[in-house]
Amino acid sequence: MKSIKIKEKRYPKRLKEINDPPNELYYKGEWDNDLFENCLAVVGSRKMTRYGKKICERIVSGIATRGVTIVSGFMYGIDATAHRAAVRVGGKTIAVMPCGIEKIHPAYQDKLYKEILQKKGLIISEWSGSTGPAKWTYPKRNRIVAGLSQATLVVQASEKSGSLITANLTEKLERKLFSIPGPLTSSVSIGTANLIKEGRAEIVTDPEDILKFFKKKQSTINFKNKNNKYPDNSLKKKIIDSLKVEPLTVDELSRKLEIPIASLGGIISEMQIDGIIEEDSGKYHLLDNY
Amino acid sequence: MFKKVNSAAYSGLDSVGIEVEVNTTKKGLPGFNIVGLTSKAVDESEERVKTAISNSGIEFPRRKITINLAPADIPKEGSFYDLPIAVGILASVMNFEIPEKSLFFGELSLDGSLRHTKGALPLALFAKNNGFGNIFLPEDSANEAAVMEDLNVYPIKDLDQITAYLLGKKEIDSAVYRREKEEKESPEFDMEEILGQEQAKRAAEIAAAGGHNFFMMGAPGSGKTMIARAISGILPPLTESESLEVTEIYSISGNTGPGSGLIRKRPFRAPHHSISKVGLIGGGSKPMPGEVTLAHRGVLFLDEFNEFPRSALESMRQPLEDGQLTISRSKQRVKYPSEFMLVASSNPCPCGYMNHSEKECRCTPRQIFNYQKKISGPILDRIDLHVSVSAVDIEKLKKERRKEKGESSDKIRKRVEKAREIQEKRYMKEKIRTNAEMKNRHIKAYCNLPEKTEEILSKAASSFNLSARGYFKMIKVSRTIADLDGEDVIRPKHVAEALQYRAKTTEDKAF
Repeated sequence: MKSIKIKEKRYPKRLKEINDPPNELYYKGEWDNDLFENCLAVVGSRKMTRYGKKICERIVSGIATRGVTIVSGFMYGIDATAHRAAVRVGGKTIAVMPCGIEKIHPAYQDKLYKEILQKKGLIISEWSGSTGPAKWTYPKRNRIVAGLSQATLVVQASEKSGSLITANLTEKLERKLFSIPGPLTSSVSIGTANLIKEGRAEIVTDPEDILKFFKKKQSTINFKNKNNKYPDNSLKKKIIDSLKVEPLTVDELSRKLEIPIASLGGIISEMQIDGIIEEDSGKYHLLDNY
Repeated sequence: MFKKVNSAAYSGLDSVGIEVEVNTTKKGLPGFNIVGLTSKAVDESEERVKTAISNSGIEFPRRKITINLAPADIPKEGSFYDLPIAVGILASVMNFEIPEKSLFFGELSLDGSLRHTKGALPLALFAKNNGFGNIFLPEDSANEAAVMEDLNVYPIKDLDQITAYLLGKKEIDSAVYRREKEEKESPEFDMEEILGQEQAKRAAEIAAAGGHNFFMMGAPGSGKTMIARAISGILPPLTESESLEVTEIYSISGNTGPGSGLIRKRPFRAPHHSISKVGLIGGGSKPMPGEVTLAHRGVLFLDEFNEFPRSALESMRQPLEDGQLTISRSKQRVKYPSEFMLVASSNPCPCGYMNHSEKECRCTPRQIFNYQKKISGPILDRIDLHVSVSAVDIEKLKKERRKEKGESSDKIRKRVEKAREIQEKRYMKEKIRTNAEMKNRHIKAYCNLPEKTEEILSKAASSFNLSARGYFKMIKVSRTIADLDGEDVIRPKHVAEALQYRAKTTEDKAF
């Protein structure tokens, strides 16, 4: 079992600034101090909506490619999406567990766990052994997430979300707070909207907003619509234009564009293989670079 | 006096000849004994026969009556030995001859009349194959047996009638098959009644054309059940020999009504998910057909697929793979056919509203993960077409297409029939009949992929993470789509469409 004590030089400096830094940090993976240089905490609701997932992926991948480490709590929902987005673009990420270091919680995310370690990320916890999480371990874990990071990004949060605890901690440490706007019809947008309304968090609409804070150069991922390779009146172009407005099912596309389903299916598959669109639980989305 | 009457017993779908030997004698005390491995139903025959004979105005003989059902080592089951026993007793007492090459079969009612008895068709088949020219059976069951040509089927109303006939006093007209009694109801739903769901309907068409198994996942009320029920309407009608097979099964299991004839419609079976393993597969100490056999040549629809007991689903593997199954019990071993098309459906999550456009899902990812994990992997592996069915906004749809209706089942069935014809021609020299039954060997022989098709398939294999099995499934489905198109060569567009129906594993979905 690998660990780092508070007396050691390698112990993250920023973490010492919190009220009760853990005496010992247990970890899995390769300890690399570079990981702790620029850290952004990404937190949010477990009840992530499709919008939340999409926007989280977009913002996090933009930031992670520029070398900022994404710190989060490995919970399902926004946490897992943030870790995953970081790993997929080859970025760095740290997962702070709410349980003993030997335990994977939630267990079914074991694939993501392995991926994080494979891509030179870090799994840390202040508890040894394989004790399970409890109600009180989550807020304790949150103080480490906030403590490790220069800034915290709240992606989606309901009015009484646990993510707001992390936000409060960040403010107490007098560190930067970011928040992403969301549709006010959704309960998981209220917490974030309040943060923005009360002037506590800075609004984020683009990875640039956060990269500026970290003084990093422009993101290499370009989110503006590229000129795509399809001619204007081609069917594929029409499909792209329809999906720009909103994600649709194949049935809806077939009705909207008046194409028989038998021929549309094949075209959709081709576009999927070409990496232009993506299916998520029945509906087709345009991928970010289109 | 000793008399011998012929009858038959069935085990599974096969029949064995049984000789009912009746001996009556004035020596000894009056009594009534049946021997020959009889079951309860046969033993109770005594009371029915006694009362029926008395109620027919004939005094029941006060003699020692011994009845032997030979061969004595085959278990005898069922109530249809009533008629041969009664005829044997009457012949022995009244001293008339029993016509040669004749089979007797039927259950007696206490008033002397004969009741509809299950198993008439298999018995008629046995009679025909074994040189019995005459068959005497209840009036209500006669139409079923009359299907057999070159066989005199005598419909019997009651004991009086047959006694008069055997004494030579009265003639009985042999039954003529009445086609109008055939079961031919149209399916409950027509495809044109189903609004929206274009992709699911198209998948159903492909499934029907190639005999593929078919899986739908979608929210409650999205129309999964309607589509499943409409499938039997787009399958080609049963051929003559298929009709016989189906009727035989239904006759054995007592599912044919009085006076009915051949079954012409494709079976559609939709057992509830509380079904037991034996209910699904068949069995019992005297093995009876289960739902997989009752769905032979038709559709077996398993709604709420992951609520079915796992043991029941797992035991479906053999029938799915081989198209038949053998039920072994200590006393006998029977074989039942089970060539059916499996249509399964399930909700995406416990509350049912994951990805619903309006309702919010109340499930945690762990619940969803566990729920979807409950679906049996090996069975899913045997399903070629997978679609997700999303709920439709009916009002909006009605507005959108006020004028045009969807395609009717008749129209779709014409295309399906064409595709089936192509397959039949192609597999003339093989044991298989549909694309779904192809093994790797057949795929090599009949699914030549042009370079461009191969290219898109291998691209897809890497970008969709297709397994080796998934890869072959896609080729099978593409073969069917090409057949629907009337094309001999599998083109890239066929493969591309087939990819729409690939299985999306839970791992694909990010939690």
